[in-house]
Amino acid sequence: MIAVVERPLDTLDLFRQDAQLTRDELWLRYFELGGMSTAFEVEAFLHGALEPSAHDHDVLAHALNERFVEMGGNHPVPYTDGAPVRHRH
Amino acid sequence: MGTSTVRSGGFSASLEFLGDRAVIGLRGVLDDLALPGLAALLDSVIVSGYEFVVVDLADLDHMAAEGLAVIVAADQRMTGLERRLAVRSPSAAVRSLLDAHGLVGLARTLPSGMADAHLGPAQVADSWRGVTHSESHDLLHDLRGVIAASSNDDVIDGSLRLVVALARATVGGADGVSVSLRRHGRLATVAASDQTISDMDASQYATSEGPCVDASIEGRWFHVESLDTELRWPSFIPQAKALGINAILSSPLTAAGEPVGSINIYSRTVSAFEPEDQRLASVFAHEASAILTGSGMDLTDEERSARVQDALLTRGVIAQAQGVLMERDGVTEDAAYTALRVHSQRTGQPLHRRAQDISASTRRTPTRPDDPDLVRRGDRGG
Repeated sequence: MIAVVERPLDTLDLFRQDAQLTRDELWLRYFELGGMSTAFEVEAFLHGALEPSAHDHDVLAHALNERFVEMGGNHPVPYTDGAPVRHRH
Repeated sequence: MGTSTVRSGGFSASLEFLGDRAVIGLRGVLDDLALPGLAALLDSVIVSGYEFVVVDLADLDHMAAEGLAVIVAADQRMTGLERRLAVRSPSAAVRSLLDAHGLVGLARTLPSGMADAHLGPAQVADSWRGVTHSESHDLLHDLRGVIAASSNDDVIDGSLRLVVALARATVGGADGVSVSLRRHGRLATVAASDQTISDMDASQYATSEGPCVDASIEGRWFHVESLDTELRWPSFIPQAKALGINAILSSPLTAAGEPVGSINIYSRTVSAFEPEDQRLASVFAHEASAILTGSGMDLTDEERSARVQDALLTRGVIAQAQGVLMERDGVTEDAAYTALRVHSQRTGQPLHRRAQDISASTRRTPTRPDDPDLVRRGDRGG
């Protein structure tokens, strides 16, 4: 069971919603980019219930960012070597 | 068996299906904000026909009295349907709440028409008699909120059964309602208010014609005001008339904008559907479509399978490109990946394109492994 205790942990999921991707579609894109975690784990990352490794976070961030580029945007999701998204509320 | 998780603020609920039993596990703080979601979740499980519903409170930290009222109301509905609801592991605090307020008193705080309606075991839809349009709309909206995360067919089907029950109760002239959905490449009825309605859908699938089939494929609505004067669907119409149907309203359901099914409303009365009923039908179609979009229904099994195959190929290309960079630059696997990612970030070119270029370059120029264009220092960033 994935327990979610606070809203700010949902940062990645909020990006997912902005990107208009279903969880399934995001997982496929993440998997395509070489992500190794299961769909269930990715869902936990999205809600902050599990802490992704730096690499996992970056693959997930990149899957989202490529989607934002498709939608005519930029790369709004920070990577671990950039602004630390999980500490910025 | 399947599980799904719903949540709202500091509250979350897990849903697990074991045969004819549904177990709802509550966790965190069940406050006023979380109540409508829990009520909608319980409703969808009850409408889905589970014989035994267990509400597990072991991980619940706090529950307001109104939360208990929602559970008690669900218990009453289950009892009316000759089914059972059980509460597992109530905390001392919840137990004292039970003692302090008493079950009967708590149930009175419920919205009208939900706690007091008489329930017969045969017709679940009857339990919604008297529900108002706005109550029905609010309920669906809450349900959509809590199951947005779910791609579990059991949870989706339960929600659609609730849509059917509410449409049957609120759309004027509706004698029967069904939801058809494309699954595994073919249309099937996932929710129907009774067997006659289910049979009517089946005869449309069998003849490959009828408003339900066309609405599901073409993604627009079909309104048959009177079957007597209807010239379309010559194989299906006589069968529907034989079953006593005289008017049909089929509205398309979409997921991510693509037609995936229909909600079909049948009436024994000619011209039964007034403009207001038609508007309501479209509201139900909209809510059901939102549920389906949230569930990832936009990918069929075949499409998903094809996507996974494509994804495996792309992964292979990326891994190959990483290998090339690792060998050329003497960097770690992660650093090679970062180089690919940073290039994509800077240029807007998808990462897999860059990986393709790198992999292809090694095949074109095997004697020149350190092609400067492909191992620019900047690519090693990160």
